[in-house]
Amino acid sequence: MAEVTPMVDGRDVGGPPEWLASALDCQPVDVRGLLAEGTDPFSAIMEAAAGVEFGGFLVIDAPFNPSPLRRVLAGRGFSSYGRKLSEGHWRVFFHQDGGADWERGAEVEVTPEGAMTWREDDGIHIDVRKLTPPNPLLAIIRLVEGIAGNETVVVHHDREPQLLALELAERGWHIARIASEMVNIRLWLERMS
Amino acid sequence: MFPGSLMMGAKDRLLPPSLPYRFFIAAVLFHVAAWATLLTAGPGAVLGFVGGQGLVLAALHMITLGTLVMAAMGAAIQLLPVATRRPLGPQWAIRLMFWVYVPGVAVFVVGLGLALGWAQHLGATLAVVGMALFGWLVSANLRKVTDLPGVTRYSAMAVVSLALLAVLGLVLLVDFTKGFLPDHAAIAATHAALAGYGFMGMLALGFSTVLIPMFVLGSAVPDALVKRAALASGVALTLAVAGTAAGIGVVAALGAVLGLVAVGLHAHAMRGTIQSRMKKKFEPFFRLVWVALVMLPLSLLLAVALALGAPADPWSTLWGFLLIFGWLLTFVTALMQRIMPFLASMHSSSLGGKPALVSRLAPKLPVDIHLACHVAALALVAVAIIGGWAWPMWLGLFAGLAGSIAFGVFAFEVIRRYRSHMTAAAAANHEG
Repeated sequence: MAEVTPMVDGRDVGGPPEWLASALDCQPVDVRGLLAEGTDPFSAIMEAAAGVEFGGFLVIDAPFNPSPLRRVLAGRGFSSYGRKLSEGHWRVFFHQDGGADWERGAEVEVTPEGAMTWREDDGIHIDVRKLTPPNPLLAIIRLVEGIAGNETVVVHHDREPQLLALELAERGWHIARIASEMVNIRLWLERMS
Repeated sequence: MFPGSLMMGAKDRLLPPSLPYRFFIAAVLFHVAAWATLLTAGPGAVLGFVGGQGLVLAALHMITLGTLVMAAMGAAIQLLPVATRRPLGPQWAIRLMFWVYVPGVAVFVVGLGLALGWAQHLGATLAVVGMALFGWLVSANLRKVTDLPGVTRYSAMAVVSLALLAVLGLVLLVDFTKGFLPDHAAIAATHAALAGYGFMGMLALGFSTVLIPMFVLGSAVPDALVKRAALASGVALTLAVAGTAAGIGVVAALGAVLGLVAVGLHAHAMRGTIQSRMKKKFEPFFRLVWVALVMLPLSLLLAVALALGAPADPWSTLWGFLLIFGWLLTFVTALMQRIMPFLASMHSSSLGGKPALVSRLAPKLPVDIHLACHVAALALVAVAIIGGWAWPMWLGLFAGLAGSIAFGVFAFEVIRRYRSHMTAAAAANHEG
């Protein structure tokens, strides 16, 4: 990990939290294998998180930035810090500190609907998983309406949305591509040419 | 990685378009037939209507069973699975529901209109079987849903009301020939309250907590507020129904007053959604929604007056008209006006290519004509009932018929435009 430039949600922002040094000694829980087999590791992670005492750490290796998990664990008092180690490999450090500082150092924005947005090389990403309908639709439309150029929007969803295509079409956008992975359905949204 | 994330795919939730649309087409046809039947009956029959078999009662059930319930079935079978993210049930059950219910309603209303006992009993039995299937499908879909308290609580009350109103309806039918009920009018009023406020009313309020945020792009309705409104609605309905059935006017009036409170709580729950909406300009269908939302409290105020002893002639006739035609028919046609092109648009990209825009699928002129005629019909018929005048009744019935035909043209045009889009998409696929 040392040879990898520290990344926060996919961007080099520097300044990791002070507690990260202690967290680096923790053995990561790698859930990539479980996800590849089609098994939902949520219960196992929550069980592991329940055993972490105040001041303790939990480290998760995942194939993507597990934004909804970070939000769920923030609600249980965990701050988090994510590093993209390589393509398809994220390591997220959780620190049980009350969660007041859970977004520290993360270059993400949280929309009024509770979706997280951040930038990566392929466009603006928005994670709407676990939001109550119609908030995913609202967050995506709000983001799309705020984009002036031809930037791509990458949506992380927990299902194939049915209403989104209609609202996008009304605004001159469309779903260019869909990739379905376990608990992460990604949709690439682009302006119609 | 997250609970509940393994959900059915989008294709599993979309029914073949012919399934919901067959219900909508039937609803549109019964809508036209109801106004035509009222015209055939003439102002005299409508003005003096206090119940009993005949064309007016037949027309009333063409609206309630033929248009309102039919539209609710068509909307629910497609929108419930989308909203709850769970399959509704086997498609054969939906088809069976249609093929039992539609002929049942048709035979039933003919029986009511021509006072044919056998047709009433046969039609009512088939219609009740169809509604029982509907109740089963909805209940099964909602059984494990925990994240939509608005829909689940209101729908549960709707299903219970459906069962009760069906039983009372059958009892009333038998009473036409046997005459065993001590107070036929009180049971008929209870049946009407269960149908109008209980079954259709609860469905309308429950579905509005999902549909309105979706259509205006507004925030989700807060669970706590909608639970409170649903609780008040349930208590109000229980009091109103018990008071009406037992002939205790004060209890029925208390139920109606609490019903007004429940409507206020529901409006309060929806206010945040409306205020936070991203679509700042309300779509045309909202004009009908506003009319319906005026008619609902008006009908409840009238119910309070009736329960406290206001004369049945003309106020009970007016109450029934405001409840069925003013509140429910207006609200249901408003939602159909939005849902029909919306569903067509959802299906329009199934062959690939761009989806047909909702705004292009929905013709504007027919809905404008329907709005003008429907509102004119509401005003004219209400005035005629209050004053006992024949000529505004004639005008009102003609306006209602014209409005229903305009709505039929709208429905036909949506389907025509959808088919035209699909034909073009198929041709493009073939060439590509």
